Amino acid sequence: MQPVFRYTHLDTPIHRLHPLVKLAYVLLTLVLVMYPIKAGDMPVLLIWLGFSAVLWAVARIELRRFTTLLKILTGTFIFLILIQGFTYRGGHTPLIVLGHLKLWEADLGVITKEGVWFGLVLCVRILVATSSLPLFVMTTPTSAIMTAMGKLRVPQTATFMFVSALSFTTLIFEMWGSIVEAQKLRAFDIDSMNVVKRAVRAYVPIITPLILLLFRKANDFQIAMETKGFGAPVEPTEIETLTARLADYLWLVFIVSVFVLCTVLKFA
Amino acid sequence: MTNDVMISLQDVTFTYEGDVVALRNLNLTAHKGEFVVVLGANGAGKSTLCYLLSGIVPHIYGGRRLGVVSVASLDPWDEPLYVTSQRCGVLMQDPEVQLFMPTLKAELAFGPANLGVARDEILKRSQDALALVRLEGLEEHNPRDLSGGQKQRAALAAVLTMNPQVLVLDEPTSQLDPLGRWEVVEAIERLKQKGDLTIVMTTHETEEILRLADQVLVLERGETVLQGAPAEVFAQAERLEGAGVKTPALILVQSRLLEREADRLGEACPEPCPEPPLRAQRGRLRERGKRRERVNLTISEVADQSREAVEAGRLAVHPDTLPQPRPIAPDAPVVLEAHNLTVEYPGPPRVVALRGVNVQIRQGEFVGIVGQNGSGKSTLVKCFVGLLRPQKGEVLFRGESIRKLSIGEIARRVGLVLQNPDYQLFTASCRDEIRFGLRNVGVPPEEIEQQVEEALRLVELSEEAELFPFRLSFGDRRKLAVAATMALDPEVLIMDEPTTAQDHRGRYQLAELARRFHQEKQGTVLMITHDVDLIARYAQRLIVLCEGQVLLDGPTAEVFTQVEELRKSFVVPPVAAQLAAELAPLGVPPQVMTMEELYQVLVPQHDEEAAQTSEVSQTSEVCYDEGEVV
Repeated sequence: MQPVFRYTHLDTPIHRLHPLVKLAYVLLTLVLVMYPIKAGDMPVLLIWLGFSAVLWAVARIELRRFTTLLKILTGTFIFLILIQGFTYRGGHTPLIVLGHLKLWEADLGVITKEGVWFGLVLCVRILVATSSLPLFVMTTPTSAIMTAMGKLRVPQTATFMFVSALSFTTLIFEMWGSIVEAQKLRAFDIDSMNVVKRAVRAYVPIITPLILLLFRKANDFQIAMETKGFGAPVEPTEIETLTARLADYLWLVFIVSVFVLCTVLKFA
Repeated sequence: MTNDVMISLQDVTFTYEGDVVALRNLNLTAHKGEFVVVLGANGAGKSTLCYLLSGIVPHIYGGRRLGVVSVASLDPWDEPLYVTSQRCGVLMQDPEVQLFMPTLKAELAFGPANLGVARDEILKRSQDALALVRLEGLEEHNPRDLSGGQKQRAALAAVLTMNPQVLVLDEPTSQLDPLGRWEVVEAIERLKQKGDLTIVMTTHETEEILRLADQVLVLERGETVLQGAPAEVFAQAERLEGAGVKTPALILVQSRLLEREADRLGEACPEPCPEPPLRAQRGRLRERGKRRERVNLTISEVADQSREAVEAGRLAVHPDTLPQPRPIAPDAPVVLEAHNLTVEYPGPPRVVALRGVNVQIRQGEFVGIVGQNGSGKSTLVKCFVGLLRPQKGEVLFRGESIRKLSIGEIARRVGLVLQNPDYQLFTASCRDEIRFGLRNVGVPPEEIEQQVEEALRLVELSEEAELFPFRLSFGDRRKLAVAATMALDPEVLIMDEPTTAQDHRGRYQLAELARRFHQEKQGTVLMITHDVDLIARYAQRLIVLCEGQVLLDGPTAEVFTQVEELRKSFVVPPVAAQLAAELAPLGVPPQVMTMEELYQVLVPQHDEEAAQTSEVSQTSEVCYDEGEVV
């Protein structure tokens, strides 16, 4: 199993972009999704999602990675659409009627069109939020992330915790795949189990060895880092020199402009 | 080598928390430029010694220490790790956990950057280190995308950019394939030639350090059993064997021939020997046997000595004494079959792991599979157990497509023991671990206990039945994984790299279990390994994979004689086979694969009678106990 968010070394305008500009894009995305949400926000969210899709395409990130992201979120999306379908207070157009159970302003026995729509809006909002960070980490080398964080005066330990967590996700994905395979060899096939069965008994044979291995790997990781002077009480040397080019400023202006447009549309 | 003492250990005893004594009364002195090799079985204290020198104990692993330790003029016990790390660098076994940056360039800069070294200096050190390990041009690559040997060299370069005076290498080649090993040893050799680093290296591969070592230290249960120049240490084969250390094969051959020559002279001239020339010759030979000046022997040198001995009449060649290889029954039913298998990993980077592979495995065969990492060995066996679905082609079990079988049905037919047992162990006891698989395949409860006991008995873990599996040694955890697989009573047993990270003794234990499965249960065995000496001893048939294709497939002895073809996949025949090839003009048969076979064929003249007797009583069965002929 390949990790979704692994950095890929390519030479694209997005890869060359100053990390702080990409960080600005991530932060503006988070601000946008933090705005109070309403059913009419779909166009705004779709504009930003479309904008993100353009950035993904320019960065030549494989579609497969986006599909993986969608797969991870599918369960959440179904849950949101159903729960909003049943409980959305502004819902008045029935789509499916299972019965009638009035609770405050909602009828819990009816899936409404407005509720499903609002559920979809929430799904798109989650998609917008979750597609920005992968773009950042998949197009920015860890050393550049560390330098950029340094420029923002984020403590080195905090930055390194972030980047080593990214590095560890690769290991976790690999170990997960190996453990699932090892247990299949003893006729324990988590992939063929339904959701309930998985939740009840499946994860112990997978998660127990994973945790034990992670402890061990974390120990080795600590040795590798500390024997390379990590934590020395000196100012670390910056190896990556980050210089802003005209293209970076232009991209920044473009990103901010799209954000302003979305904000205006949202509150207009 | 100068007289500056870089490492000094005086009466050092180290005890881990929990009162486990790892090192006892250890003394070691190493000078600038000296290369110290530390040998010993798993659990002998080698890694603890590395941790002690590099400051990992007590700063990461706690414990109590007695005695004096000085590494490049500081005591790692008293200094924080970032100070010790500037004097003493450490390279560990597993390159995966030592590489965590996204590019090689960032990886190399990580250490010195943490210490605030000037940027230009870091870049210069990185360039020098890359040149030394021959990875120039790969600066922008993700270290995780490199091959095993490249990864370990990258990790070595990352240590070197710290500019240490002492370098500690803890089994740096144990997890690599032959090419990777060669690459790393070559880089270490270049470091030694520079002469300004003191190097301490632990290993199980005695052959690869012969030309490097200035001093050898052999540990057993934390205590020094042998210490001195390589020639002195390797002359004591029996004591090495007792400590679980392999004596390099060529030294063993030479010593055996020389000792026999000395014995022969002894018979010709009993003590006290009145004939001065004979007495002198016997003394010389014995002395050479005990204290050889050079230990980095080559195949040609030993072959020349043997040839000389044969021509002088001191050794005789008896080709007929060689046991006939057990034939592979051509009419035995086919149990596993791969038809035109093609497997592709999407990546990135995209990799074609198997390209149209066709293989048939017959019932009762013991098949070795060799080849470089990435040649497709593991992919092939994963297809055999249904873990991977090939994009093209098909796997058949007794003529039936494996796609039609459930995971449980496959597990009862084909068992695969993976390299790392820790991916599967999760229960509270060894007994539960074996029960788990049996329950999954639906064995009735009344039969489960019986099969659990049988499996534990088979791997000799009955006494540890209630123990938490993670409290077992690595070797025993592997045996437990084998037991869990064998309990399912498969027809075919596949072992993936049973020798990785194992000591000399441990690497034969799993192979022995496979042999017992093969002989006692008439099972079919497939074994993936890089250990050609081991596979020559056990396998009847050998498959060599190269770049996802079958390069060679045939009886083991025949395959090992095709040296040119083998070279394409970086597989080198066993030492005995190489010697046999050199001695072929003298009549040594090319199918000699093991040292025992070589000794049967090359017999000192006074042993001829014994050889003739053995010719009569010769059977094709050879029993091994921990790798030794009984």
